Amino acid sequence: MSEYSFDKSVDMFTRATKVIPSGISGNKNPAFAVPGTFPYFAERGEGCKYWDVDGNEYIDYLLGYGPIVLGYNYKKIDEAADKQKKMGSAFNHPTERSVELAEKMVEIVPWADWAVFGRNGSDVTTYSIQIAREYTQKRKIIMAKGAYHGSHSWCTPGHGGLIDEDYRQVLSFTWNDATELEDLVKANEGDVAAIILTPYHHPAFADQVMPAPGFWADVRRICDENDIVLIADDVRAGFRLDIGGSGEYLGYKPDIACYCKAIANGYCMSSAVGRDKLKNAASKVFFTGTYYTSAIEIAAALATIEELQATNAIEHMMKMGTMLQEGLKAKAESHGLQVNITGPPTIPYMSFSNESNFRRSQLFSGEVAKRGAILHPHHNWFLSYSHKEADILKTLDIADECFGIVKKEFGS
Amino acid sequence: MNKALILANLHLHAVLPRLEELVKLDSEAKAIAQKLNLSIKFLVRGGPSVVLTFKDGNVTANTDGEGKADIGLLFLSCDQLNALFTGGKAIPIPYKGIIKIGAMKHFGKLTEMLTKYLKPSDEDMKDAAFRAKHVEMSLMTGLSGAITIAKYDTKMQKVVNHLPDGTILFSVLPDGPYANVSVERKNIIVKNGFIENSTTTLEMNGVDLAADMFADKLDTFAALGAGEIRASGLLTLGDEFNALVDRVSYYLV
Repeated sequence: MSEYSFDKSVDMFTRATKVIPSGISGNKNPAFAVPGTFPYFAERGEGCKYWDVDGNEYIDYLLGYGPIVLGYNYKKIDEAADKQKKMGSAFNHPTERSVELAEKMVEIVPWADWAVFGRNGSDVTTYSIQIAREYTQKRKIIMAKGAYHGSHSWCTPGHGGLIDEDYRQVLSFTWNDATELEDLVKANEGDVAAIILTPYHHPAFADQVMPAPGFWADVRRICDENDIVLIADDVRAGFRLDIGGSGEYLGYKPDIACYCKAIANGYCMSSAVGRDKLKNAASKVFFTGTYYTSAIEIAAALATIEELQATNAIEHMMKMGTMLQEGLKAKAESHGLQVNITGPPTIPYMSFSNESNFRRSQLFSGEVAKRGAILHPHHNWFLSYSHKEADILKTLDIADECFGIVKKEFGS
Repeated sequence: MNKALILANLHLHAVLPRLEELVKLDSEAKAIAQKLNLSIKFLVRGGPSVVLTFKDGNVTANTDGEGKADIGLLFLSCDQLNALFTGGKAIPIPYKGIIKIGAMKHFGKLTEMLTKYLKPSDEDMKDAAFRAKHVEMSLMTGLSGAITIAKYDTKMQKVVNHLPDGTILFSVLPDGPYANVSVERKNIIVKNGFIENSTTTLEMNGVDLAADMFADKLDTFAALGAGEIRASGLLTLGDEFNALVDRVSYYLV
């Protein structure tokens, strides 16, 4: 198998560093993947594939860190967006598309009574905790250790530009430990406004952990007994487990749920939906942004949800994801390597069983990228509706060769 | 958060121990140190202490303040000690070994040389050999300083809480210097030198790049993307620890 080079990516990065701090900011900076053996800049996409600026083609399992749920350049969604573009997008007012999408969200999420729209996940996770504070008139927020809820100052995993007060009211507990959570609530009795959790635990730089039996029921009970708003941060997993939100798949019903990523197939959209009891509190939180009501993205979200429903895309992604998970495990075992495959089939992640420092993962992912697939070493992967059996089989062929390289370098 | 206390800890536990490297890297410093076969204890009331032992031109710094001392110097406050390190006037109380106090003139020469390496002039930095020594001492100052930051800086407790266990190898390519850090249950140990099989590896491509990094003139993420710094292994350990190292420069301006 021939190997890619990344010369133009690196040149472009050098150019970028002259005018952009870090060259590329946040989690898309090359430092978070495998610098030197990973693409830095994309050029175009089609289906489940994209091409970088060097012209290298990839079967993509990162999909823009999640938003591409149907496929790159997906015709029906782009047509819906184009149709709205011709009518206009950034008006003084929202368009009818906003009302239509809110109606759609309330229709598909069984417990939801209202919906609002932002542009990124952080917009709606922050908005949700503000609603909880307004509703409960309490201060503290509880999250799981290592969970990611966005880049705003109360929850960013970054270090720069923060003051103690930014996160002083944010507490954390160990995922799946309902006793620790309950103790934390008791220790802060009368002061906890919200518990915000992802549907299952999907931190970066770690295996994914599904909820233990009874965990979500315990969380719901603790919230109900203590007048705490339960927020589901479904930004990453939303619409990849169930069209009604991940709670339908995992058996919980939050008070507010946040969606982004898969909601509009790559158009920048996010949404929070909530129960009727929180609607007044939600109305009191000043929630706006220059582009929050822009109609192109809202039209794309409507079309995306309809297409996910019409094609039964989640079932297809589950099937392809299972094929990928089982195939990777078999290929690894054929080389005498043990891997952990964690998370649901549509959002899998793989690590090597006998290491905690990611060196095998980094070598594997870098070699896979050089041969035409993106399997991130530190972040969970995503399936899309455009991944077909042939793509999975080709990926497994690439993985087979790269497992051999890992075996040669590290032994078993 | 007590800024004076943190600064005093940095001065005694991150800066002064660099005499260990100074006498190895600079023959003139070694010659001076050879005149000092004794130990000196710096003690700050309500603050840190350190015992520096000079023997045969080598220096060892005991940062837990334990050990026999021939000369004892008491500073009445952290501010008084800090003034000594920042160009102000501060006369400690010699509470032990007053008859040997004349040896302090040699010690003063060593600290002047240390300052020259840790706060170099633009002129000095034009010399490649000087830059290499500056980088080695700056590397150890920054890494050792992280111990103080982790212990005392309340702003950084979030970082400390996220600090995973493991070892980090810091390498300046192609031939060093090297330093290594061990973290176990938030307890940090810093040592000079290379280690095998580190959990995390951070390799800096050359002394000049490292010098820029320690002078806070380098966009680290840009350097990582460009391959000028190579990070591998448990990146979260490197990231969290570097946040502590970054904080050292807030105090040691």
